[in-house]
Amino acid sequence: MKRTLKALLPLAVLLALWQAAASANLWSEYVLPSPGRVLRAFTAMAQSGILFENIWVSFCRVLTGFSIAFALAFLLGLLAGLRPNSSVYYNHIVEFLRNVPPLSLIALLILWFGIGETSKIIIIVLASFFPMFLNIKKGLCSCDPKLVEVGRSLNFTQGQIFRRILLPNALPDILVGMRVGMGYSWRAIIGAEMIAAASGLGYMILDAQQMSRSDKVIVGIFVIGIVGYLCDRLFSLAIKKALHGGVDNSWS
Amino acid sequence: MLRNLTAEFPEQSITVILGRSGCGKTTLLRILAGFEPHNGGEVLTPAKEKIGMVFQEPRLMPWLTVWKNITFGVPKDRLDPAAVDRLLKMTGLTGFEKAYPSQLSGGMQQRAALARALAYDPELILMDEPFAALDHFTREAMQNELIQIFSQQKKSIIFVTHSVDEALLIGQKILVLNPGGAAQEFFLSPYTYPRDLLSDEMIERKKEILGAIQSKKEHMQ
Repeated sequence: MKRTLKALLPLAVLLALWQAAASANLWSEYVLPSPGRVLRAFTAMAQSGILFENIWVSFCRVLTGFSIAFALAFLLGLLAGLRPNSSVYYNHIVEFLRNVPPLSLIALLILWFGIGETSKIIIIVLASFFPMFLNIKKGLCSCDPKLVEVGRSLNFTQGQIFRRILLPNALPDILVGMRVGMGYSWRAIIGAEMIAAASGLGYMILDAQQMSRSDKVIVGIFVIGIVGYLCDRLFSLAIKKALHGGVDNSWS
Repeated sequence: MLRNLTAEFPEQSITVILGRSGCGKTTLLRILAGFEPHNGGEVLTPAKEKIGMVFQEPRLMPWLTVWKNITFGVPKDRLDPAAVDRLLKMTGLTGFEKAYPSQLSGGMQQRAALARALAYDPELILMDEPFAALDHFTREAMQNELIQIFSQQKKSIIFVTHSVDEALLIGQKILVLNPGGAAQEFFLSPYTYPRDLLSDEMIERKKEILGAIQSKKEHMQ
């Protein structure tokens, strides 16, 4: 209870400052819309259904791209984690691609794939692949060989060693990678939708900007932040659950 | 490292491999377990022998409970909960089935590791200084437990240690290993458990064994 109060206090202060600045008319309504106006815009958008439609569109794109990225990252992470010697072949390519922001590729992607769903999903895949790939790889190749030896002493097959030792041992790293990847893909989709889209939260913000409706822009920003935050919380709950409610070091 | 070594490990007996650090005790054990390749020489084992191993460290899976760690090597269709309960009782871990390794003390973890090897039900158990990291009292209790297990289940046990006292307490046969691989054997099967290390006979034996380790060292110099 006390913690909730402590967490709410700075939010209340910020809101009060915002309200005070808006009612003092320091800036025009266009530059800084009042909280009341933003709230009204929010209810209007919520009632007309536009808001949830756009959230849903963005969410579906994120889910599709994220799932593809996870499947790719898992397969390649498996190869990289279980055969570390193979890294010589792809290490430079991976490091190169990792340092290219996906949004910088959007011009080419639109040229090649048009402004449909494909180019946006590719952006998400590119954004969320690397944190997942690197964490899966790290989780698999950092397994203590002493634990693997236990498997061999119990006459496990290679498949059993993977399923019962390597994979569960890598699980915390895999989940952390997924959590980071989810955050990245959420950020990337907004950017991609602001450049080329006819729906989605990013498009909603861009559209509001072109209509000079800064109150709607602020609604969009809040929604993005809140949805992203909720996604992250869900993931951290799942991680905590998978790691036995946080028994100390039960995942070293 | 191990040269000209010929040794026999009798079935249903505790054979102790004794020697100073770096003489190849662990290497010999790992060769027997099949973890290490050997260039030259031969290891003859009874066909289809099931070998279990207890390591120097507990090596429990940190993400599994004690129960799941103990049954780690047991196929699901062959799992007998009553047998696991007996093992828990024997190793003093009853009540800790649901605990995770990090919630146990070092001695308890090592006992869980011993229970894991026993639940696997091997004919031969290889033990690599399994009690070396334990305190005196836990160690004593574990040695007694091992003797109990041996007397009840008649497993073959090969036990590596650098402690002469430990070897004298539990060994039926002691294989003294020295750098270079030459070995000397001592037979203790006439002495019944529990053994009194302060009896005249035991002190005599200890002197002989220490001599065997020393003389080889001098020989090296």
